[in-house]
Amino acid sequence: MAASIDGVFEAGLKSAIEAAKVLVVGAGGIGCELLKNLVLSGFKDIEIIDLDTIDVSNLNRQFLFHKQHVGKSKAAVARESALRLNPNACIKAYHDSITNSPYGVNFFKRFSLVMNALDNRAARNHVNRMCLAAQVPLIESGTAGYVGQVELVKKGLTQCYECLPKAPQQTFPGCTIRNTPSEPIHCIVWAKHLFNQLFGDDDPDEDVSPDTADPEAAGDAGEDALKSHSNEKGNVERVSTRSWAQSCKYDPEKLFQKLFHDDIKYLLSMDNLWKKRRPPTPLLWGSLPDAVAGSSRNAKESGLRDQKSWSIAECAQIFADSCRNLKNQYESLKEGDHLVWDKDDKSSMDFVASCANIRAHIFGIPQKTHFDIKSMAGNIVPAIATTNAIIAGVVVLQAFSVLQNNLKSCQTVYLRSKPTSRNQVIVPEKLLTRPNPKCYVCSTNNEVILCLDVNSMTVKDLQEEVLIKTLNMVEPDVILDGKGTIIISSEEGETAENNPKKLCEFGITDGSILKVDDYQQSYKLSVTINQRSVSKDGYDFEVVGDISQLKPQEDDTTNSAANGPSDQDDDYLEIVEEEDITLPDIESKKRKSVGETEGGISKKRRIEDDDDDDVVII
Amino acid sequence: MVEISATELTEDEAELYDRQIRLWGLDSQKRLRNAKILLIGMQGFGAEICKNIILAGVKSITLLDSGVVTNEDACSQFLISRNQLGENRAEASLSRAQQLNPMVQVTADSEDISDKPYSFYGKFDVICATGCPVEQLIAINQTCRGHNIKFFCGDVFGMFGYTFADLQIHEYAEEIATHKPATTQEGDEPATKKAKIEHGKRTVKHTATFVPLQDVLDIDWSSEAYAKRLAKLDSSYFLMRVLLSFRSKHERDPSPKSRQEDTEELCKVRDDVLASLGVPVEKVPDDMFRNVFGEVSPVCAIVGGVMAQEIIKAVSQKELPHNNLFFFNPTKNVGFIDCLGN
Repeated sequence: MAASIDGVFEAGLKSAIEAAKVLVVGAGGIGCELLKNLVLSGFKDIEIIDLDTIDVSNLNRQFLFHKQHVGKSKAAVARESALRLNPNACIKAYHDSITNSPYGVNFFKRFSLVMNALDNRAARNHVNRMCLAAQVPLIESGTAGYVGQVELVKKGLTQCYECLPKAPQQTFPGCTIRNTPSEPIHCIVWAKHLFNQLFGDDDPDEDVSPDTADPEAAGDAGEDALKSHSNEKGNVERVSTRSWAQSCKYDPEKLFQKLFHDDIKYLLSMDNLWKKRRPPTPLLWGSLPDAVAGSSRNAKESGLRDQKSWSIAECAQIFADSCRNLKNQYESLKEGDHLVWDKDDKSSMDFVASCANIRAHIFGIPQKTHFDIKSMAGNIVPAIATTNAIIAGVVVLQAFSVLQNNLKSCQTVYLRSKPTSRNQVIVPEKLLTRPNPKCYVCSTNNEVILCLDVNSMTVKDLQEEVLIKTLNMVEPDVILDGKGTIIISSEEGETAENNPKKLCEFGITDGSILKVDDYQQSYKLSVTINQRSVSKDGYDFEVVGDISQLKPQEDDTTNSAANGPSDQDDDYLEIVEEEDITLPDIESKKRKSVGETEGGISKKRRIEDDDDDDVVII
Repeated sequence: MVEISATELTEDEAELYDRQIRLWGLDSQKRLRNAKILLIGMQGFGAEICKNIILAGVKSITLLDSGVVTNEDACSQFLISRNQLGENRAEASLSRAQQLNPMVQVTADSEDISDKPYSFYGKFDVICATGCPVEQLIAINQTCRGHNIKFFCGDVFGMFGYTFADLQIHEYAEEIATHKPATTQEGDEPATKKAKIEHGKRTVKHTATFVPLQDVLDIDWSSEAYAKRLAKLDSSYFLMRVLLSFRSKHERDPSPKSRQEDTEELCKVRDDVLASLGVPVEKVPDDMFRNVFGEVSPVCAIVGGVMAQEIIKAVSQKELPHNNLFFFNPTKNVGFIDCLGN
């Protein structure tokens, strides 16, 4: 162990390493590498936490795990393997979520340094707040493919993880998904929604049937079409997709008929939609094309099941098989339970891949392989050992600096896939990135503006959608400032009767201030309400971190048809490849002022993400 | 050049390598599974390269080291257990290396590379040498040229590290992002920012030419071209020269055990080396010798990660390779490429 061999390190570093107590959050791709570097460097007191278990697809980079460990706790196995590298280290492993209550501010205060090795934004936000509250330095890192990033978060000195608004998840308007898909991703989102309608959590916002309220269809077609096409399903439109499917016992042929024929016929009747678009072609179960669309199968095509192009007839067969399997899985659950879509469950994945391809065929959209659909539907970020190794190495070098209180040399470091104009591939910022003085998390006054319609938003939505899902709180308490009314209490059930009520019923109006306090995160936030009416395209709310950023509503900020990450290990990626994308306005302006000037050739990329089963949000 | 494997990947391979196939594609993976690698030198830096290459899924890797496990290997050699002190380094690494990926053939060789016949080299597609004296590196590099084998070398000294590559004439493909307006008509104005852009990819083939290590060492720093570059050039190249000279002169690297004496000796070697190159002594300040002892684990991870990725690129013939030196300078946490000797 480097620190225990005299002469490897200078005396100051040696003693700093031996005295340190560190926390590693995440035992995945970066976590395994970190743990190795830490024990070899001579860290003696390490704690590691991860809620996940080991999967085969982890083994190409999470080298502390081997095949016999599949299914076991990542944290526990990582600990065992790391102890073999240095039996003298003291490592404590937790197979748990860092957002759970035992890991409060006092838990964090015990450490000299926290290192994140996470794969999702929600957990990163949470640890960020905990470290700010506990006044413990945090080294944040992430990788995606060939690129990665390491940054120090130290209250008052550097930017925190939430100082800059993150690009919103890519979302699609409901009517594009339901009525007028034009790209493969639209069909994949539709197929995931369909899974939820049939077997999962059937969110009404994820309806998959034709949307008669599509403004483009201009109304008239809807009801008439309903009448003229009312055959055996004429009265079905107002019944939920789930009940209808149950009534026909999930018969694949009947489902197919409704989804890929009757509903498509109905869409065709909405004439306005097809004036400038290629109209969809309804399919009949009995006569499905057997050829593979696009190019014919060529000899070069891989024999792997994942990589094959399926004909529509094959898709229908896979659709039928997966429906039957999912029906059985669903029916074996307890009453009231539902399935959760998982890219690693064969039937779930087959169902989405086949439905997406059948729908794509109907709309004349190119089909995708199972492999590609899995990437898109599962939000998979590709991950390799070398990138994680490099990033974890930089994290530990920064840890050395932090522990010697040499914070000045902890500039954010980027790993790039191509050299910059100065031929750098591991690229440090020139200066520390200063905190955003208006950050609603780390500045002295934590304030946001919340634009919503007080006449339609319920207390429940305020709690779930705004405070927990968007502002990333765990157990918020909410008091209406001035009046002292308790709107939401984190005590179980104390304010349950408020849940269905609209905000206006409490006298909340434009300009009202809500005092929000999350005890678990030691985080207080003042929320100023900005009244906005619900717009046609389903706009719900918007959080604005800084009043100066308050700007007219744009059409892509709704959460209508989000294919967002719902599972915990889904993740986010915001990488800006050169010449590829332009960053959202706010971010690019801010980043420029911080000073990376690589000329026009190579713009900065910003990653937040990682590794694992992460996600590019779609 | 490594051919694409004629047989398909198995479902097991596809599952294990899923996350990297999604990055570099099936063809790269098929090339990797045909590649035979020789890794010379199994200290901490070698262990990192070894791990990454085995995880990537090559056909075979031979670990060659005639040295024995020392106390200092505990700084970063994670393939060796602490009770294997005194055993041969390659053999001691074998078991843990194999556990990383049962699909890769891993073998250990405890002989000295200098004792190997010319024909030995022909068995490999890539040779990567670490921990060798510079004279030996030059010789191995020459032999690789004779066999048309991709040659890599590198070292980690404390927190400093470098890699060098001689891929001779190297053909590679690069995917270029293309952007064109989705609904193009001949003679249309370039799309405005709001217009819908179709993002595609196009594969472009390139050829890169490399020089042998000898050329990188024989640079005439008084020549006009190099004298001009000298002022801007980072100290790393010269630090590498000083450390390689120390290794040749003392047949060992600077040791933590004799930190004080070796630091003084490094200053002397520095004075001699820079004088012979005609480069001012200030190019390598004394300060740089504070962190050149042992092989520090996080730096082995960084430089070993870069080296392994370069080997993967060379085998898969995908992406622009680093031509020809990569340095990691720990004072600024900066990693950069220098092209010298061309």
